[in-house]
Amino acid sequence: MNTYIKLAWRNLWRNKRRTIITSSSIVFSVFFACMMRSMQEGSYDSMIGNLVKFYSGYLQVQDTAYWEEKTLENSLEYDSALIAQIAGIEDVLLITPRLESFALSAYKENSKPVFVIGIEPEKEDRIIKLSQKIVKGNFISALDDGVLVAEGLARFLKIDTGDTLVMISQGYHGVSSAGKFAVRAVFKHPAPDFNNNMVFLSLAAAQNFYSAQGRYTSEVIMVEDHFDVKPAKKVIAGLLPPNKTVMTWNEMHPELMSMVEGDRAGGFIMLWVLYGVIGFGIFGTVLMMVNERRREFGVINAIGMQKVSINLMLFFEIILLAFLGALGGLVLTTPAIWYFYLHPIPLTGDIAEAMAQYGMEPYMFFSIRPVIFIIQAATIFGISTGIALIMMISVARLKIIKALRS
Amino acid sequence: MNILETKNLHKIYDEKTVPVHAINGINLTIKKGEFTAIVGPSGSGKTTLLNMIGGLDKPTEGEIIIEGIKIHELSPHKLTDFRLRNIGFVFQAYNLIPVLTAEENVEFIMNLQGQHKAIREKRTIELLEAVGLGDRLHSRPGKLSGGQQQRVAVARAIASKPKFVLADEPTANLDSKSTENLLDMMEKLNREEEITFIFSTHDARVMKKARRVITVDDGIIVSDETK
Repeated sequence: MNTYIKLAWRNLWRNKRRTIITSSSIVFSVFFACMMRSMQEGSYDSMIGNLVKFYSGYLQVQDTAYWEEKTLENSLEYDSALIAQIAGIEDVLLITPRLESFALSAYKENSKPVFVIGIEPEKEDRIIKLSQKIVKGNFISALDDGVLVAEGLARFLKIDTGDTLVMISQGYHGVSSAGKFAVRAVFKHPAPDFNNNMVFLSLAAAQNFYSAQGRYTSEVIMVEDHFDVKPAKKVIAGLLPPNKTVMTWNEMHPELMSMVEGDRAGGFIMLWVLYGVIGFGIFGTVLMMVNERRREFGVINAIGMQKVSINLMLFFEIILLAFLGALGGLVLTTPAIWYFYLHPIPLTGDIAEAMAQYGMEPYMFFSIRPVIFIIQAATIFGISTGIALIMMISVARLKIIKALRS
Repeated sequence: MNILETKNLHKIYDEKTVPVHAINGINLTIKKGEFTAIVGPSGSGKTTLLNMIGGLDKPTEGEIIIEGIKIHELSPHKLTDFRLRNIGFVFQAYNLIPVLTAEENVEFIMNLQGQHKAIREKRTIELLEAVGLGDRLHSRPGKLSGGQQQRVAVARAIASKPKFVLADEPTANLDSKSTENLLDMMEKLNREEEITFIFSTHDARVMKKARRVITVDDGIIVSDETK
């Protein structure tokens, strides 16, 4: 085996320029493919992360009618036994109730419709890390009757910590709701859409405001990552009474999933064009490598080397060529992606505005998921193996006499 | 003792279109230790004969028997293995593996045979010294002259301890001095180690050195002289 690898390695460097050019094309293709995929997946992760970790959670238990008609009339009564059962499921990290509705907020001459979320501050902070997003003021406790106001909203209303926010709305069973709330803190939500109209307050304060004591609109459930969502959903669904349902983050955001899938498909087309270019590049090199050595293959077969062994040597040559390129590509890509993962590229101008309109952060995020790198390397390996097989068939059909005369 | 025998050997090319009768019923026996030249004009069939004897080509009709084995009946895989263990080849264009050194080229064939490294290394050095290249062990073919490359090719051909060595026009690309040196060396190996050599050649110097000269024309043996 060592002899074949040694032969393959030396054969690879018989034509240094050709090997360098071919492996360089693989290096740059792997680099661009990894960068592109990392950028795509990073953006999706960011979008999904914003929604999951800053709003919806991975799963939610709701009234069966709530998703279609999000009113307090479709809220649920607190069921501590069910919550304890769900909390006991292996994949579930956390479960916390929310009461969500809308209100008209006002401060002095300014008013704006807002999205109001009543939370259990301590538990919720473990999901959305809200306390870390506070830019001014202090985080609330479960018994606090103050509110947390999103930075964009605070700017619009010209309200600051210590000021009083007025909110009016319609509560449970059509009750008129009105309340004055001290602004305890201003937080910055990464999604511009939420950052411009979100107000958090304690669950108790929200229940009081909406006259919905002991009720909630959803139980937000966190699992380790999205791979655990499906199995957790199955178990939770088995525990629920008929009037309750469990929804996953992708069911709650089908438009996001469609956008991600559509964008991903577009990316794959680009990627396959890139792979096509690499594939034909490798194929051209290998074809030359084989054709100019037909006589040599004939000679070594004549003196006693089996075609299987010649093919093994050829296979090693092609795989080494691909390995060199893929390794070089990964060596070049890894630090670049790592850097951009830690320092996302800020976007400005029209693109930034367009992204903000879609509720996305105006940054180009990168993903460091190993699968991105593994798939690129595996694809190059697959393409090379395919090319190697074509060439191996050609060698297997080699006629010694014809080869010796070539 | 016969090491090689052909019986009523025929080779027809392009049988389906315009048949060319390259070999027309050759009966030949080669004994151990012979130093034989197969001569004849271009297109006479000598290379075709050599290719068939060497198991590189199959006869259309007839038999090739090497020490009792009908090699034309062997499968391609078995035939390759047979060549590896029984036949040495020296080609007109040397055909060494360009990425291997002289030492590695000679060792390569023994490596294919599965011999132990220590044995391979010892024999390689002995052989390269025997062909006068003991000081060029680590030179790649590109750094050797044509004569030196052909010497390495001879060392490679005999490294596997074959029953005979087939040399197709081995001196065609060599100058007269290199030709003389190569022939002297092969004659010495033939005499001292009883290695059987079969050449196909046009070269009068090879014919002069050969102890048996078989003349082929139009695919048949027209003369067979032993000196």
